Amino acid sequence: MKTNVQNEDDLLIQKVKNGDEGAFKFLMTKYYPRVYASLFAYTKSREDSEDLTQLTFIKVWQKIDSFRGDSAFFTWIYRIAINLAKNHFVSSSSKKDKVNISSDDLEFDIPSYDNPESSLMHKESLQKIHSFVKTLPESLKTAFTLREVDGKSYEEISVITDTPIGTVRSRIFRARESIINFINGGDEDHG
Amino acid sequence: MDNKEKISALFDGELSDVDTAEALNELQANVNLQKIAADYALIHSAMQQDDSKLTSIKSQKNPKHFNIWLTNGITAAASILITVLILNQSSFSRMSVNSEAQDMLSIAINSTEAKSLIDSSENNLVDHVLNVINDPNYMNSTGQNIDLKNVGFAIQNDKRRTFTRGKENFTLRIEKKNLGLKNVRYWKHNNKMIYLVPLADGTVVTIYGNVDTQSAIEIARNIKK
Repeated sequence: MKTNVQNEDDLLIQKVKNGDEGAFKFLMTKYYPRVYASLFAYTKSREDSEDLTQLTFIKVWQKIDSFRGDSAFFTWIYRIAINLAKNHFVSSSSKKDKVNISSDDLEFDIPSYDNPESSLMHKESLQKIHSFVKTLPESLKTAFTLREVDGKSYEEISVITDTPIGTVRSRIFRARESIINFINGGDEDHG
Repeated sequence: MDNKEKISALFDGELSDVDTAEALNELQANVNLQKIAADYALIHSAMQQDDSKLTSIKSQKNPKHFNIWLTNGITAAASILITVLILNQSSFSRMSVNSEAQDMLSIAINSTEAKSLIDSSENNLVDHVLNVINDPNYMNSTGQNIDLKNVGFAIQNDKRRTFTRGKENFTLRIEKKNLGLKNVRYWKHNNKMIYLVPLADGTVVTIYGNVDTQSAIEIARNIKK
């Protein structure tokens, strides 16, 4: 199953470079929350974070050919995001662009950038997820944590836990299912 | 391996080339799988954050809010390219995943015109605005004597050639190319505004400073080069 790649996203990145729209959508889906969370931590503004996250992925789309794999893909994306945030470059015209502002149509307001009343995720919910993970059965928790926190490959986890790769894959999947079930208000079935 | 487990492995980059292509095809066609992928992304993001360092955003007791949040991942992502491509937004709902938005995204990404637009227009525009913000000499490079006395602005002969009128002040630059602009666009950077105003002769005026939009338009239209 495992491809011989150095970076977990290499295969998808190569597909994006070859024009694979599905691969780009998947990478965008995969990293959107992390980019947003990073930018929110920096800007403390939901609107700024949304604008900057969008700009970040525009840049990713534009510059994907220049990604050489010298760092993890997220590191590369993060660098783009933080450079944009440092400039505090906020396109206040983005919403207006969608309706094509005319130079004759000057009846618009500059959006304000208040701190959000709500956000993608709040402290209490994150703490609940972290707490829930601690309650997972040891086998699921170990595989999931080695993967999500330590960034280990399935093969590495297989060696560390002395477990077949197929079992590692299944345990990580079951851990994720349990967490989704938990955050969606289901019972605390640990699979 | 069922398709959800396959998406989990795809998320971890643990599928072969053939399996990856197959999983992406399944993902493309299945909204439920897209939501699962977004869920995995949110869990991943949550696990990267040290809960001892989290900033409380809003005290919230109702766990149902997670569902909204989980949904937002996809819709926000979908909105990115739609924003880039300046497609019609009227039918796009940010609060729900709908097939129309996905279709629009798909069409948008596939389109040669879209890639061309991004490459030639948005890329130039983003780079131009970043230059305005970051390069102190960028706004001085017009190399022309510009007279704005007819709209009440006097020039200060400082290094940045700042124009002033009361509390209003700005620097100015003229592009001979139109940067793909057809309409006025503007950005906010800290307490300053950046206006790009396309003129009838195919040039674009960049105004960076403390002026309102109407003043920016007035300035651009009254430039005597």
